[in-house]
Amino acid sequence: MRGAREGSISAADSIKEAVAKSKEIQKKYSPFITINEKAEASRTKGRLYGLAVSVKDNICTKGLQTTAGSKILEGYIPPFDATCIEKIKNEGATIIGKTAQDEFGFGTFSVNTQLSIPKNPSDAERTCGGSSGGAGCITAAADFPHVAIAESTGGSITAPAAFTGTIGLTPTYGRVSRYGLVDYSNSMDKIGVLGNRVHDCALMLSIIAGHDPLDSTSSELPTEDFTKYLNADLKGVKIGLPKEYFSEGVDKRISKNVRDKAALLESLGAKCEEMSLPSTPYAIPSYYLIAVSEASTNLAKYCGLRYGLQKDITGNFDEYFTKVRTEGFGEEAKRRIILGTFARMAGFRDKYYFKALRIRATIIKEFKQAFKKYDALITPSMPVVPPKFSDIKNLTPLQNYYMDILTTAPNMAGMPTISMPVEKVDGLPVGMQIIADQFKEGNLIKIAHKFEVSA
Amino acid sequence: MSVMIGLEVHVQLNTESKLFCSDSVDTRNKAPNENTCPICLGFPGSKPKLNKKVIDYALMTGLALGCRIPEESFMSRKIYFYPDLAKNYQISQYESPLVGEGYMNLPDLKIRIRRIHIEEDPAKLVHVGGDITSAEYVLIDYNRSGIPLMEIVTEPDFTTPKQARQFLEKLSSILEHLNVYDASKEMSLRVDANVSINGGERIEVKNITGFENVEKALNFEIIRQSGMARMEVKIEREVRHFDAETGTTKGLRKKEYEEDYGYVFDPDLPIIKVDRAWVEKIKSSMPELPDQRVKRFTSQYKLNEYTASVLIYTDKHLADFYEECCKLYKDPIVVANWTTNELQKSLNWRSERINDSKVKPKTFVELLELIDSNVITERYAKELIKEYVDTGTSPKELAKKSIVKLSKKDIESAVKQALDKNKKAVEEIKSGKTESLQFLIGQVLTLTKKQADPKEIKALILEMLKKQ
Repeated sequence: MRGAREGSISAADSIKEAVAKSKEIQKKYSPFITINEKAEASRTKGRLYGLAVSVKDNICTKGLQTTAGSKILEGYIPPFDATCIEKIKNEGATIIGKTAQDEFGFGTFSVNTQLSIPKNPSDAERTCGGSSGGAGCITAAADFPHVAIAESTGGSITAPAAFTGTIGLTPTYGRVSRYGLVDYSNSMDKIGVLGNRVHDCALMLSIIAGHDPLDSTSSELPTEDFTKYLNADLKGVKIGLPKEYFSEGVDKRISKNVRDKAALLESLGAKCEEMSLPSTPYAIPSYYLIAVSEASTNLAKYCGLRYGLQKDITGNFDEYFTKVRTEGFGEEAKRRIILGTFARMAGFRDKYYFKALRIRATIIKEFKQAFKKYDALITPSMPVVPPKFSDIKNLTPLQNYYMDILTTAPNMAGMPTISMPVEKVDGLPVGMQIIADQFKEGNLIKIAHKFEVSA
Repeated sequence: MSVMIGLEVHVQLNTESKLFCSDSVDTRNKAPNENTCPICLGFPGSKPKLNKKVIDYALMTGLALGCRIPEESFMSRKIYFYPDLAKNYQISQYESPLVGEGYMNLPDLKIRIRRIHIEEDPAKLVHVGGDITSAEYVLIDYNRSGIPLMEIVTEPDFTTPKQARQFLEKLSSILEHLNVYDASKEMSLRVDANVSINGGERIEVKNITGFENVEKALNFEIIRQSGMARMEVKIEREVRHFDAETGTTKGLRKKEYEEDYGYVFDPDLPIIKVDRAWVEKIKSSMPELPDQRVKRFTSQYKLNEYTASVLIYTDKHLADFYEECCKLYKDPIVVANWTTNELQKSLNWRSERINDSKVKPKTFVELLELIDSNVITERYAKELIKEYVDTGTSPKELAKKSIVKLSKKDIESAVKQALDKNKKAVEEIKSGKTESLQFLIGQVLTLTKKQADPKEIKALILEMLKKQ
């Protein structure tokens, strides 16, 4: 990016090089579902001029295949750009490809897909995390200027950032327009960024944030230039360490590395102390109930009539869409449709769906209370180091869901988070998660940047 | 036998754009699927955006029906798989409708309104090679997908099909006065009617268009259900389809219960908050409503309540037309009589509504003026009006073109001609047979092409017979 700006290489050459290198990386680690063969340098000399951007495949890109990791959308070419894509194009960015993910975001390891499965550049036998696994993979592997646009519902930016040793910024719910995002759980989906420098994430957020008339849930708060929070002082910053996030389920070596970093922040002027978020254990079940309830309605539209996978039209409508959905959806998607339909059913709605909504309200209240006292909270990002694909196979769905134990609460509460790489364990990347109050991404940038330059 | 009828009335609101996108609601003269975009087609990534005008319209309707207006409501997803739903769910309202309880007064009957909510219209299905139960295949036209619908739900307070029809006529007039729907648009008002007899299970007849058809469908259902009861066949909850051609209903499927749709809040749409100020603003901008207008007509134009009601409840535009005519013509009662009788008859004959016809106040009052100035007879005017409604040509022109009112001399010669031709009748009259006098009058009318006044003819005949 800097090279192009300084005129030492042309933007056209740098995009060409990025695509060529992406193809090489694809052969080794498969971060992409689609590489944009037609990628061209932009003519707009904006703030992202000449920058290669990869986009998670659940974000609509006009004229470029968008599958959300699902076979049921294979071949789907959106007729419009998502709002965030429009914004980065207006700043001169070029989309080099669409990154791999769990189908519709349903997973933590990017293995729940019938399409591309990304491999970890630190160890190709291990996962990149999920669901934005492809975004983490290419961000870690790219040896050219690149930033990834990704998305998180319950931790899908933090997980790949932690597992690939990159930086993952998940903004506040409503900060970035969701228009053009293929829905998983609309009340929790957030478009965010993965990058290798805090600066890149802050700049990208400044560009994609802001109210969008096309997304009624996007916040009307004025957007900010988040790069102004770089190089800030940490004096007087109060940081909480919620003890539930350092519990037994978390690899002790990871907990220790994160605590060490809290000490570093203290030495830089911040004040850290242990505190408690007692509702944390209820986050996972209520997160999954809300997510699957909403997801099961979002997935109803895929029936092979208007776009995506189609089959020979025989039999009646019920028979036709059953055929399409049976083939087009993977096992996890089917599991979540069934769970979600059950949670919404008459007689169970009160017990599951509504109860989960009430728990979410409690969790939000608890965070809000904590942020009266603290500017940010610090926790490990993931409870384990990136597992091997061979081990993932043996996990039960429930064990799988518990991998999200550290990310679901802030995600369902709509709190912004950033995951920063800390010291490795067994030579494998480990992440630290910083959580701030809603619309206080500035606090995250402040702490993360100071940490980045001091680490 | 006791009958309970409740109605669910779906009204297409005549906003400019659809409920959640900026596509036009006007689908006339549009090719199938031309009026669509990623939002009303439910494309991945698209999001609904609520059209505030729809809320205004539903609130106006609620206030016109004396309904409670809750401060908050929200949109929900009603999930069922059907090819007319672009997303396989419909964005509607469930626990929390925009408008709460209200009522409508009918003559000697108060109908309670349970709720009014807003939702999106599904696409139009075109059944090819048969009807809904027998079609070979189905074509889908998403032009209709996302048009704002307002659903007005009544309590089961009707005991006869006639009452249901009266309710719908009055409701339609109210909606037209509020200018929230276009009655001339095909399918702009559709009715689901629930009927049960003797406290039994209710049968839902879905998607009936036309008030006469609602009455027919209900009558058929009552007869069918009472027949079943007589034969002691158990009536089970069911959805039926009304076939307008045969006037009968056909079973479609077992009725799902509302709670079986697995409703969730639509997380793409924020809570709708309606504060006092909003309600007051709507209240202060409410146009005159039909009941108020009937009262005004009785005092301003000295009409009786019946005539005023016919003018206002038949078609709001007929009442508008009437008032325009009254500005141009001196006697409002004469205008009312001609409007509700001869004019309406001619319009009905052509199945036209006043607004779509060639009839205009300025030319219509010419007709009345021609009678007043004795240029044409009232009787001839009743003939002339048909041609006027057909062609829209000014009655003055029409009167000029055809034979203008005859002079006394012309009538005399016609009478003479008739007397000469019908000697036998003349003899019979002389011997006191009055039927023959009528016959002769008829003959003269034919000769004068109905331009002469029968009274005048009669007097002339008698006069001439005396002379003979």
